[in-house]
Amino acid sequence: MALLDVTDLEIAVAAGGKLLPVVRGVSFEVEESETLGIVGESGCGKSLTSLAIMGLLEGSQVRLTGGSIRFDGRELTTLSPKERRAIMGDQMAMIFQEPMTSLNPVYRIGDQITETLRQHRDMTRGQARDRAVELLDLVRIPEPSRRIDSFPHQMSGGQRQRVMIAMALSCDPKLLIADEPTTALDVTVQKEVLDLMADLQTRMGAAIVLISHDLGVIAETCDKVAVMYRGKIAEAASASDLFKNMSHPYTRGLMNSIPVVDHDVEWLEAIPGRVPTIDEVLPGCAFHPRCKIAETRCSAEDPAAREMAKGHEVRCHFAGKGAA
Amino acid sequence: MNALKKFHAIFRGRKLATAGLIWLCIVAFAAIAAPLIAPFDPLEIDPVARLSEPGTPYLFGTDHFGRDSFSRAIYGARMAVMIGLGSVFVALGTGGLIGMLSAYFTRLGHVLMRGVDVLMAFPALLLALVLMTLLERSATNTIIVIGIVYATTTARILFGMTLKLKGEVFVDAAICSGAGHGSILFRHILPNLISPLLVQASFIFAFAQLQAAALDFLGLGLPPEVPSWGNMLSEERIYVTRAPWLLIFPGALIILSVFSMNLVGDAMRDSIDPRFKDDIAGV
Repeated sequence: MALLDVTDLEIAVAAGGKLLPVVRGVSFEVEESETLGIVGESGCGKSLTSLAIMGLLEGSQVRLTGGSIRFDGRELTTLSPKERRAIMGDQMAMIFQEPMTSLNPVYRIGDQITETLRQHRDMTRGQARDRAVELLDLVRIPEPSRRIDSFPHQMSGGQRQRVMIAMALSCDPKLLIADEPTTALDVTVQKEVLDLMADLQTRMGAAIVLISHDLGVIAETCDKVAVMYRGKIAEAASASDLFKNMSHPYTRGLMNSIPVVDHDVEWLEAIPGRVPTIDEVLPGCAFHPRCKIAETRCSAEDPAAREMAKGHEVRCHFAGKGAA
Repeated sequence: MNALKKFHAIFRGRKLATAGLIWLCIVAFAAIAAPLIAPFDPLEIDPVARLSEPGTPYLFGTDHFGRDSFSRAIYGARMAVMIGLGSVFVALGTGGLIGMLSAYFTRLGHVLMRGVDVLMAFPALLLALVLMTLLERSATNTIIVIGIVYATTTARILFGMTLKLKGEVFVDAAICSGAGHGSILFRHILPNLISPLLVQASFIFAFAQLQAAALDFLGLGLPPEVPSWGNMLSEERIYVTRAPWLLIFPGALIILSVFSMNLVGDAMRDSIDPRFKDDIAGV
């Protein structure tokens, strides 16, 4: 059985007395020590999916309207808040996009790490502090025994993200959800943080769900990839399969919009148009207004997921035909 | 030792704030040691020496009963400190809790904040007057009433700030690390509210003095025989032309204490909030 099993996840936003669906029937599995990448443009529902797994949707206008999320054999959507708290931070942890705001500005970073430890582990203050120093060393913060008493504003963005990773890893979680962990960092730091995550994963064996809009990041780090568009998984495959054989026009569009260093191109190919807003009703395939190979059928009939190869699913009527 | 270092860090380089702190210390000392410092009994009447000018043995002169104004001023410091601290405690305790809980638990907030709205519909002094007429004149009731009046503004301010903090990523991060409601409210959100709370506390301490003086002046605050700066102003106001020092001294004491409190509050805010730390240590 998979470590994380998301089935038919439905999320809707309450607006003007109506519920507008934003995530529609998303399903995926993550095995132990595996890395799943979820890619897509802003507004495609990838972040909401991650928030739903962590149970952070409650109380806002965004609501979980259906589906199940099973983690390690337990259904998360029906857990009591207390049971959920026992799992969060311990067996599953999350890294956020904004390292500048995800640490509490009035706490020393050491206190923030030890708090998580003391919440879940029976540790004395001293033991927790020693462990926090170890963790900071593990995420390659120089002089960890001194930096442990720093405030977040005394650190750089990259360092703060490392501290976040240290916090997330403090209790040896089985699952780590990283929502655009490198988006706010500059490119060299991005590389360091990704390498660090990959290194820690091999050492600690946690499964990772990496959410990103950057196919390059995904290609470098993930075992499996799910490409999301407008609340649905457009294409899902193992990373090697996907990059060899992109079958959905949206995936190809994303790929073509990345500059390639050793090719000299005048113009990058962008996907025309924009992601439809959530209150637009689109019959048929959600991508058809922007799709190069769309035909009349696409605006009438929503394509079902088809299996191209083992573990490679695509939602497109013309998957595999007519490479664009 | 650690606390002493922090103290030093707050006031180093801030001359005005240090002066304010020294003044507040003097007031606090006078409040604590009033029976030892005061040369006379503040209630002792000397009809022969009534309305005498400042000098010896009556440092601040005497009032129209012939009571020693200096001794009364010293005992007045006692009331000032008591009412200031008490009101701050009541206002921040109730108002702060109402504001934070209302913002955090939205449904509860709908109910609680409407109650706050109703109280805020009254002008501060009017609300204090209404409440005081319902209660007996005493120091405790004055504290409770002033506390309630300023609890409303505190609740409003903390409501807004908590609402904003609740949406911060670090709160989500805390939830993700398995923190419960209590821990999120009091360990993650509350420390971020310390600077507004301190500003609010200094403001309330200062305004409680004025409010208490106003209540005393209108005859609804402390019982008339209690020596407080407000009562001194109230009782001697008709002698303003004959013996102005009877009003100048308690008036100056109120102003100095209020001003000092504000200076100290500002200095504390600047240093407790780490984001202010690298600013120029002015004032």
